[in-house]
Amino acid sequence: MSGHLSRRRFLWTAASAAVAAARAEAHQPPTLTVGAVIARMQENLGLPWREKSIDGLKAGSPDAIVTGIATTVMASADVLRRAAAAGRNLVFTQEPTFYNAVEDGGNRSSDAVYLAKKALVDERRLVVWRFSEHWNARKPNEPVGALANALGWSTYRLPDGDAIYKIPEMRLDAVLEHVRTRLHVRGGLRWIGRPDMPVRTVLLSPGTTDLPSTVARMPRADLLLAGEPREWEALPYVLDAGPQKAVVSVGRIVSLEPGAAACAAWIRSFTPEVPVETIAVGDPYWSAS
Amino acid sequence: MTAQEIVTRIQQKLAADGIAWRTTTVDTFKAGRPESTVRGIATTGMATFDMLRRASAAGRNFVITHEPTFYNHLDQTEALASDATYLAKLRFIEDQGMIVWRFHDHAHMLRPDPLVTGSARTLGLTPYASPTERGIYTVPQTTLRALAADIARRVGGRFIRVCGDPEMKVTRIAMGPGYGVPPLTQAVDVSIGGEAPESGGHAEYALDAQALGRPRGVILLGHMMSEDWGMREAADWLRAFVTEVPIDWIAAGEPFGRRS
Repeated sequence: MSGHLSRRRFLWTAASAAVAAARAEAHQPPTLTVGAVIARMQENLGLPWREKSIDGLKAGSPDAIVTGIATTVMASADVLRRAAAAGRNLVFTQEPTFYNAVEDGGNRSSDAVYLAKKALVDERRLVVWRFSEHWNARKPNEPVGALANALGWSTYRLPDGDAIYKIPEMRLDAVLEHVRTRLHVRGGLRWIGRPDMPVRTVLLSPGTTDLPSTVARMPRADLLLAGEPREWEALPYVLDAGPQKAVVSVGRIVSLEPGAAACAAWIRSFTPEVPVETIAVGDPYWSAS
Repeated sequence: MTAQEIVTRIQQKLAADGIAWRTTTVDTFKAGRPESTVRGIATTGMATFDMLRRASAAGRNFVITHEPTFYNHLDQTEALASDATYLAKLRFIEDQGMIVWRFHDHAHMLRPDPLVTGSARTLGLTPYASPTERGIYTVPQTTLRALAADIARRVGGRFIRVCGDPEMKVTRIAMGPGYGVPPLTQAVDVSIGGEAPESGGHAEYALDAQALGRPRGVILLGHMMSEDWGMREAADWLRAFVTEVPIDWIAAGEPFGRRS
């Protein structure tokens, strides 16, 4: 979470708020464009903007006037409808929108669901902007910090910057119940480990869990709390490590939702003219077992 | 008979069946000495540490695994060189005189693909296989909820995940093994497989299809609950031309829910 406004950003935000207030007094509608929001994001990011990036405009016009902003992990049709109904016409999504990374529909270009989703975006005049790579590049990692915050573990972060949290000791079954409640997981919750195993150190790995970073950090953690660990990579690695290690997998979307909420708070800090909120996708799975 | 001799015989069998050995393949020895004498063979979905212990105890020192041994598709071990878990597993394999060989790319080239037929048989889908479309099964009309419950009972999986309207009608199913879950389209009602990213043509599509009034579903069994069964068929296939040593299927089993 980036709760600390820099002095520069504070002054800038205060100045833009004053401008907005002056406009309101003059009875002029605010005219914040998508392009202006992006410029502010680039200015506030604290990192150089990458020339080649998966981030960028995926649907709609960069000149559109922004009436409200929504952040989400995935711009599903349901999320887009809720955004439109609430007047949040600019949607920032972490994941792709049209079933593949190139967003052009590919071999789905005549698929009825693809076309209906495109039509939904067009008819509701929504702007969909993917914001993932740059958000994930901030240090310390935003999705990790936000996930820890959602679990009430923020203060337990070890100072090594490696996303390991030293929590008050809990049994694994208690951790599972805590995770289920705090993150609203349904069928997506899966785990490996003895229910009575004591958990003191947790490696938080929202989203993708790559093997090299797991191998580097897991020796210092009892539990890997992950989003979407591949079942031929990090998962069997922890399984093979033996009964003193455990995995809790919550699913990609669920693991990234706190980060999307943090992203909304960050954008809100420099777009005072318009409402900014996060829209949750929720756990896509129910359990058949 | 050595492990290398058995692999050579597998390659000869494939060649006789018109399947040329690929120049680039993950189907290689992963640990142990190819010249070691084989006392028995165990096929498995994945050579996990637990599976290797069971194979060793059963006197099956040659393990033929479908998925990697060392946690990445190419079984690259540079990043693991000083890792305690990797070293313990490697030492166990060597100390027990075991050999691990991967049978992935060429297993999927067999016709029929044993990973698909093994999964279909376990799921009870075999009688419904399309005669013309590979991986398509047309079942008597059911619902996503009923289909998923039936599948969960058949595979015994404890962590079977489903996305889609539970009451949606299902007749046309696409099924693929492991990570090869067929992407959802309007051409099928449900896609079934092992594991798939939530972003893309599976859960994401199912969520949108439901929201946009064209419901489709996805059922994820878990990677081993999808592919372990196929290696039982691979054991049957091997027994036809490797008769000198006993051959067993030793399942890796579902990792989730394990206590260790």
